[in-house]
Amino acid sequence: MNASQTLADRQAAFMAQVLNDEAPLPAGWGDRHAQGMNVYRGNYRSSVIEALKSTYEKTEQWVGEAAFQRAAAHHVITNPPSTWTLDDAGSGFDATCAELFRNDPEVAELAWLEWAMLQAFTAENVRPLDAEGFAKQSAGFGEEEWAKLRVTFLPCATARQVNHDLRSIWNALGEDEFERPQARHDTPHSVLVWCESERSTFMMGTAEEARAFKSAQAGTSYGEICMLLAGEDSSEEQMHDAAIRAGALLGRWLNEGLIALIEA
Amino acid sequence: MTAIEPFGGFGLGLRRTHYADFLDGDVPVDFVEVISENYMIDGGRPLRILEQVRERHPVIIHGVSMSIGSAGGLDEKYLAKLKQLEQRIDPLWVSDHLCWTRTSAHNSHDLLPLPLTEEALQVVCDNIDRAQSYLGRPMLFENPSSYLTFPEDEMAEWEFLSEMTRRTGCYLLLDVNNIYVSAQNHGFSADDYLTGLPLDRVRQIHLAGHTPGEIIIDTHDREVCDDVWTLYGKAMATIEQPVATMIERDDKIPPLPELLSELDHALSLACESISA
Repeated sequence: MNASQTLADRQAAFMAQVLNDEAPLPAGWGDRHAQGMNVYRGNYRSSVIEALKSTYEKTEQWVGEAAFQRAAAHHVITNPPSTWTLDDAGSGFDATCAELFRNDPEVAELAWLEWAMLQAFTAENVRPLDAEGFAKQSAGFGEEEWAKLRVTFLPCATARQVNHDLRSIWNALGEDEFERPQARHDTPHSVLVWCESERSTFMMGTAEEARAFKSAQAGTSYGEICMLLAGEDSSEEQMHDAAIRAGALLGRWLNEGLIALIEA
Repeated sequence: MTAIEPFGGFGLGLRRTHYADFLDGDVPVDFVEVISENYMIDGGRPLRILEQVRERHPVIIHGVSMSIGSAGGLDEKYLAKLKQLEQRIDPLWVSDHLCWTRTSAHNSHDLLPLPLTEEALQVVCDNIDRAQSYLGRPMLFENPSSYLTFPEDEMAEWEFLSEMTRRTGCYLLLDVNNIYVSAQNHGFSADDYLTGLPLDRVRQIHLAGHTPGEIIIDTHDREVCDDVWTLYGKAMATIEQPVATMIERDDKIPPLPELLSELDHALSLACESISA
């Protein structure tokens, strides 16, 4: 490196060498420097790959150690960490899996689930609203208040649509030697993730549930969710059915302890 | 800024493997040290356990990602999270490493070496001033182990550390194993390093194992070696004030009794060194 380079220049060049084997060594560096740089490169890669292995234990078990190692190495190259917490190194690994395991789409869904469970595990602690609290707060509600009702979920709760039965995959992976279940669904379903008594957990549901959950999480009112579930140009009967389904979802979220507060 | 009073205890790092030991029993340590970043989170079990451990033991929070040597300055979000943890735990002190880990675009998650230049020294001191001012307390910084030196180096590492403490009022976390590793890798005298430091600024000592080889690597995955014990004895014989001593183990972590036995050895050596 030349003498006029600033510390910022030198650090940018050093980081490039850590991230990329093929980045040229600075002028004036010899074999000893190259050996030292190899140690830093090795430390960097092994720490990030170890973090991925720790976050995606089930995904690794599902695809096998060698395939996981290749995917993790690819992820480190295409998504080098940018934040101070090593836990974030796993961010976007589900997308990496979607790209690398195109013929096995359940892999990306399983990776998403593990990532969501890690996020839930360290999310802010908020006490869920129980049935008694819900009943008390909604005691005086008329039709208008129910329509305006908005739900705030626990900060740890999240959901997405999936095409595989992640519960059966998860349970199979609990065994040392597992048999691969037939997990592909004919129609989309949903998975909801949250933290209960300091343990991350999840449940499978209908695709409609993921849609309703995400809408509610984005601030959509209960009345609007009923209309969303009924669909456009729905008949009175369809509206009635949708309201029943929305009520069932609300009850399920309440019973599972996913709701932090309600307001109308 | 208030001074950090000397504290002469013997402690261990709190690792997940030993959570149950610390929650269920009366572990005979004077303090525990935790990796700050593992607890700079919003909630959940790890924080609850740390708070429970804190009820029984003084806690030191020791970071690996402050990146005090970054030319681009400190990450404000990181500082905010660290301060939140510091206020929650009320630690004995807050420490990090003399190194850098991030540029504006990337994070290495490894402790990268700084060129030992006046420019780097000024960057480090400005960043320490910012961190200490933000936290409202002086910090400790640990001498790193390193695997290369820079052609542009203008001073020895101990000179850099001495000037850093003088300019910022920070304290030192002396990692005896790191001195040994860097001395072997770069061919300087570990004794010169020790005698060149302002030892009155040392408040804590780390002891750990390393992996031998053409380049020795600071792996924290085995027992402290004899040469490092010898160097520890010399440090303890030379440092006049009480200092806290800790065994670090981050990989191949053995059952707690093995680490306590190693800590007992440190205590014996410290007693011998002080009485000699």
